[in-house]
Amino acid sequence: MAGLRSSHESGTVMSAMSEDELRDLVGHRFPGGHRRIEHWENWLLTDCTGREQLPDHLVHPVALFHVPIQGVGTTIAELFALGQVEGAGSVGLDGYDWEYFQPLREDIEYRFDGGVIETERCRPDGEATYDRFVFSIDLTTPDGTSAARITNHWRLRR
Amino acid sequence: MSVEIGSEIPEWSMPDVDPNRMKTMAAILRDPYPVHWDRQSVANIGLGERVINQGPLNLSYISNMLMAWQGATCIRRLQVSFGRPVLDHDHVTATGTVTSLETVDGEARAHCEVRLMRDGQPVVTGTAVIALE
Repeated sequence: MAGLRSSHESGTVMSAMSEDELRDLVGHRFPGGHRRIEHWENWLLTDCTGREQLPDHLVHPVALFHVPIQGVGTTIAELFALGQVEGAGSVGLDGYDWEYFQPLREDIEYRFDGGVIETERCRPDGEATYDRFVFSIDLTTPDGTSAARITNHWRLRR
Repeated sequence: MSVEIGSEIPEWSMPDVDPNRMKTMAAILRDPYPVHWDRQSVANIGLGERVINQGPLNLSYISNMLMAWQGATCIRRLQVSFGRPVLDHDHVTATGTVTSLETVDGEARAHCEVRLMRDGQPVVTGTAVIALE
């Protein structure tokens, strides 16, 4: 889903999720956990972006998409299941807000904590109903210093 | 080169979005959506037969522009919204403009508008906060 479909796209799936169920997702906490970014993973990730490798074991900034999701103990597929959507075209990407409090580096055991912070059922005029689904995850270093925070906004099509 | 309000960030181009990189990216992300590697799945949702680049890769081109400009540790914040999908073999270019300057705890920072452009149209738009060298 990371490539994500914009709002004009078709392929929606029906969901039985009620508005109450949607509201109840707010406050849902992910399991939390620890994760390190290994050199091979960072090398391949950076290569995919089309630039040369970064110096000093620096992690490419775009790692803040998948590393927090995996580090907090969930997956893209589990997030789809939480929102009761499945299938191509069912999820769109509205936006990211990523804050970097310090550079991320390979082989540091970061701590990950987060959860769902906002949901909303939207019924725009002349368009299909969708749900806003917003989750946030914090990264901290082994000494407890904040390293980064991500807030991702997804669109669940109904 | 001094950075001023209105300064243009040097562009960074990806002249040919590579579908093979999408496959590697899908594995790294553990992304189960087949639209990044299976042309038929894209056709099934009415978007033709070119696979869809991952949103993080689209954002990475903007990140690469910013790092080429002010160094590998310069990014303090990225806030972006995504528009139309980027497809394999698209030519996209990251661009940006400085909109304000500030100093935070002794660190000079630039606030910037950033964009990823295809055929003169934005496909990703947003803002970035950048520490200046």
